[in-house]
Amino acid sequence: MSKPDITPRRSFLAENPSVMWFLGLLGLFTLGVTVLAEGFGMALLSTSMVKILGMTLCLCLIAVAMDVVWGYCGILSLGHFAFFGLGGYAIGMWLMYARTQGIVVDSLANAPIPPTQGEINDAIATQIFGVVGSNELPLIWAFADSLAMQLLFVVLVPGLLALVFGWLAFRSRVTGVYLSILTQAMTLALSLYLFQNDTGLRGNNGLSGLQNIPGLLHLPQSTIALWFFWASAAALGLGYLFFAWLISGKFGSVVRAIRDNETRVRFLGYHVESYKLVIFTLTAVVSGLAGALYYPQAGIINPAEIAPIASIYLAVWVAIGGRGRLYGAVIGAAVVSLASSWFTGGGAPDIDLGFYTINWTDWWLVLLGLGFVAVTLFFPRGIGGLFDMLVRKP
Amino acid sequence: MRFTALLARALALLMMLACAVILRPDEARAQSALQPLLQKYQADLAKPSRRTIGPVIADLLASDHPGMADFLRKWEAREVYLRPADGLFFYAEDAGDSLRLIDIDSGAAVAEVGSREVDQIRPNAGVRRELAAALVPYELNAPEPARRAEALEAITRSADASQIAPLRGSIEGETDPALKTRKERLLTLLIAQFGATKSERLDAIAGLGGDTSIEARSVLNQLTATRDGVAETLPDDINLARVLEVGTDLTEAEAHDRLVAADLAPPRQTATDLRDVLAQHIVDGTVGGVPLHQLNTTAARARAYEALEQAGTVPPRAAPDEVAQAVAAHVFYAEYLQPDPQITQAAEDALTATSRTLGLYQTADLVLDGLSLASIFFLAAIGLAITFGVMGVINMAHGEFIMMGAYTGYVVQLFIPDYTVSLLIALPLAFAVTFGAGVAMERLVIRHLYTRPLETLLATFGISIALQQLAKNIFGTQARPLTAPDWLGGAITLNDIVSISTIRVAIFVLALIFLALLLYILKRTRLGLEVRAVTQNPGMGASMGINPDRINMLTFGLGSGIAGIAGVAIGLYAQVTSEMGANYIVQSFMTVVVGGVGNVWGTLAGASLIGFLQKGIEWFNPSNTLAAQTYMVLFVILFIQFRPKGIVALKGRAAGD
Amino acid sequence: MTTLLEVSGVSVTFDGFRAINNLSIQVAEPELRAVIGPNGAGKTTFMDIVTGKTRPDEGRVVWGEKNISLLGMSESAIARAGIGRKFQKPTVFEDQTVRENLRLALKNKRGPLDVLLFRRSAEGAARIEELAREIGLADDLPRRAGDLSHGQKQWLEIGMLLAQDPRLLLVDEPAAGMTPAEREHTTDILKRAAQTRAVVVIEHDMEFVRRLGCKVTVLHEGSVLAEGSLDHVTQNKEVIDVYLGR
Repeated sequence: MSKPDITPRRSFLAENPSVMWFLGLLGLFTLGVTVLAEGFGMALLSTSMVKILGMTLCLCLIAVAMDVVWGYCGILSLGHFAFFGLGGYAIGMWLMYARTQGIVVDSLANAPIPPTQGEINDAIATQIFGVVGSNELPLIWAFADSLAMQLLFVVLVPGLLALVFGWLAFRSRVTGVYLSILTQAMTLALSLYLFQNDTGLRGNNGLSGLQNIPGLLHLPQSTIALWFFWASAAALGLGYLFFAWLISGKFGSVVRAIRDNETRVRFLGYHVESYKLVIFTLTAVVSGLAGALYYPQAGIINPAEIAPIASIYLAVWVAIGGRGRLYGAVIGAAVVSLASSWFTGGGAPDIDLGFYTINWTDWWLVLLGLGFVAVTLFFPRGIGGLFDMLVRKP
Repeated sequence: MRFTALLARALALLMMLACAVILRPDEARAQSALQPLLQKYQADLAKPSRRTIGPVIADLLASDHPGMADFLRKWEAREVYLRPADGLFFYAEDAGDSLRLIDIDSGAAVAEVGSREVDQIRPNAGVRRELAAALVPYELNAPEPARRAEALEAITRSADASQIAPLRGSIEGETDPALKTRKERLLTLLIAQFGATKSERLDAIAGLGGDTSIEARSVLNQLTATRDGVAETLPDDINLARVLEVGTDLTEAEAHDRLVAADLAPPRQTATDLRDVLAQHIVDGTVGGVPLHQLNTTAARARAYEALEQAGTVPPRAAPDEVAQAVAAHVFYAEYLQPDPQITQAAEDALTATSRTLGLYQTADLVLDGLSLASIFFLAAIGLAITFGVMGVINMAHGEFIMMGAYTGYVVQLFIPDYTVSLLIALPLAFAVTFGAGVAMERLVIRHLYTRPLETLLATFGISIALQQLAKNIFGTQARPLTAPDWLGGAITLNDIVSISTIRVAIFVLALIFLALLLYILKRTRLGLEVRAVTQNPGMGASMGINPDRINMLTFGLGSGIAGIAGVAIGLYAQVTSEMGANYIVQSFMTVVVGGVGNVWGTLAGASLIGFLQKGIEWFNPSNTLAAQTYMVLFVILFIQFRPKGIVALKGRAAGD
Repeated sequence: MTTLLEVSGVSVTFDGFRAINNLSIQVAEPELRAVIGPNGAGKTTFMDIVTGKTRPDEGRVVWGEKNISLLGMSESAIARAGIGRKFQKPTVFEDQTVRENLRLALKNKRGPLDVLLFRRSAEGAARIEELAREIGLADDLPRRAGDLSHGQKQWLEIGMLLAQDPRLLLVDEPAAGMTPAEREHTTDILKRAAQTRAVVVIEHDMEFVRRLGCKVTVLHEGSVLAEGSLDHVTQNKEVIDVYLGR
């Protein structure tokens, strides 16, 4: 008979060595990239490569969020990329507004008569919305001149959307495949809405020029790229730590129990809907933050990024990496998104079969699709599952 | 077919004989006078010009010669020749290398000449127009219905008062009932516009109420056309249509523009104009005594301009408050071009009646549109509903099966040029191809994932992207045509508002056929019984000796096969691209979810709801189909709140959790 | 003995089939009660109604001293009010350890924030040990629940029920699939639990019911056919008809 477990709780990190390992590796990786980067060290890594790596870290972060909501809570959300995009739009509005403001003020500085505030505002509006045939700043841009407000929106907009949508969906006990379809419908509605020219976010033009950070224009892109890389690494590290903490204790136990048998948890007296809502909203907020870090590195955001297919790819990454383990999500997102840009970017060599040449830009999606089917069929635990096999071997 | 053609020919022969009998006495009377009459105007006829020909035609027609109209028509058709040798006019017909001249009066062949010996008279376009107009009254009584119809169209194109009499005269003898109706309607239109007495016009206008034809509406619109006016007080000598309120009917800026246009107020000055004017009057870093650096507010700029205005350097301008004052001091109105208030009132009343009828027709048109959209959604979704209902499997590759069906149709057309035949082959072939693909997918992938529905969703998504890219690699990215046979090409037109393309009718019929077929299979066959058993309780089904493997395989094949046929149908009116399936998949899901799982009627209800609602929303905002789709999706999300299991839900314990 | 649960005049219809027909049952605290009846008598539906899973078409379900109606409450609120339920099929969280399963069920605040800020305590740990001893799983605390035997899962679920510290336990066929020794142990657990609270056991097995030695309610076609001691009801003519067929 074992003694009652009354030992005081050990530190969280000590109980979860995999988190320690992950943070250590992430630190090493960040250090390595910094040393090799153009903007700081030996210039072995081009600025565009640093940007790709930084963006990949953001994708890893949203994959971690996706893993929490799907792998741990059992909600296959096909809408988290919408939250990602909303975060991007929120920060993109400030980036675009502030940058345009700078350009407009500069160009009006030499006018014979100094411009009024109204003239400056009109010029900014015309500059931004000329492409969609408007010269008025829409209402939703009311706070676009304030970085603090837009940063608040990065958190608030995805958070509120997730809260309202989740409340509606969970309240009516929509689960499983139905819920997935419903989240997909939400994503579709959002992207269709953004595609319209008159909804105040420049329709299918999206927001562009986001790589130019107002106030930091004197710095070279190589430096800015590195800063964003660091920020992305820090965000991934913190996000990972936060979610690992969230799912490790009793809360995680409840969440996993909900995934396995929702009804039973309800009869234990837990208000299942609240838990789902907390998880759904928290992961949505983190997705929004990831998007806010991603799009300044990408430079452009448009509604196509939010299309339902993007969220499905997100699920694919997590499944390939191995859901139900946070590092699996990171591996999946990193491997698949990097492989994707390698194959479609012309990095992979063509294969000459004699009668037909396999050009990877054309065949990568076929490979990915079939590969994904194979993973689902034969390695349901994904790449992360391979670690289990290694660990279990004596 | 052959018999009908024969009958038609016999009828035509009979009619010709009858005409000949009727016309004979006229011809007999006409033997004498035409050629001499023509000779009187020989010069004008031989070299006609648009300016001089009018009176000539009038004189010729005034002679009342029965052959005259015929002559003028042949002249218009360039069938009249002049023999310079004797200056006589002839008709002519082709006789190999030469022309056979025919006497105008007797109709007998007189000579065969080379084409150089005679001049063909070629009236120019302007002359021919004059001719056509002059001939209209005669054409109204022409023996051939086609010519009479043409004459009616000519009147419609350029109506005037002079046509009333001949038109009225021609109605009595009209034998064709359809043409008679048209003539009567046209007469009403003409009288409404040009009628001699007011009461006659009022009657005609009242008769136009509720007539939705474009002609009737345009006549009424012309009668009620207005012109904008502005004055300090409302004039009482005009036929007032309405007084316009500033702020509701027109903006202040528009009102002021009208004042400016009527020279009742000085032009407004835009902020840009003001800035430009000020920039031209910078003196020593100040404008009108205001330092430059202060000019970054509207108030300071106004002060500077006032100063310049007082100094006389710039003309006075309408400041914002002056604009408001000027607008307030005037009354804006619209007056009818038609001076008679009774006529305009009658026309307005008639228009109201018309718009009521119009609304009715538009609703009917909307219903037809909704119906056809619903049948498309039904076709696209029913396969999905079957697989989802029976197996609980979401097939994300369903859209790609639709695409495969469409490409099958395209490939068949490459080999079989006859569109009807190729369509007849494509439909079963598309079913076979996608049935095979579905069965293969079920056997290879889905079978292994039955206990993991979410993973099925993702695995089928993997298949979907692979298939889509594969189609891109094979057929390229550009859209491929899937041409409908001619008999599906047109549209069924009820009137000017209600029309529906034949292809959509065909899709509707196809949807009905599939509805009936599926109901038959599910309710009346052994397979259907087993499918329903498995849908309601898989465990019990298995223990009753139903082989669930076989049922799943067949069901999946059936669902996929229908997707293939839907693909052919959709491809016929939309274009075939590798992404076409993806465009329908989400709508299909929503149809299934809204309708309720595992029930043909549910899918029908879901498709109808979504189809009609989408058309309805589009009707409110026709310019923006994207917005319609957005609201549609939002509606579905809200709908699920109230009926989580769809319109037609399985109830009780069978539904499970 | 005071009345803890009062079900009166409750009816439920599924697609025209009357699963429960004007059912009235009272349960006192503390009490051990067995509910028996042929298949389709409405035993499980009765539990569904009390625990909020199924809403009745008519009737009242009243709970506790304050006579609260359970009909408007959600499943989780009813559970928090003090009604625990064990399902026919053992449903423990197989991916988690026995300790985690018990900790989930342990009476504590159930809100997300409370759970997030939950800290393990010595009393909690001691209570888990105690429960584990009672259900005979003291040595299996670190084991995955999925690795337990069928009988052990049943006990774990009963243990989870006890951990909730409910005033009313609804137990659906606790002895299904158990060896005779395991049945005996289960009987002991239930009897002990019934000393301080109300326990309602649904059971098919007459031998098991006899061993419980408590008041028996016989359900038939959705309403109460007979009530009393086992001997009393088994001599009832109607009960014999129902069980042996007419």
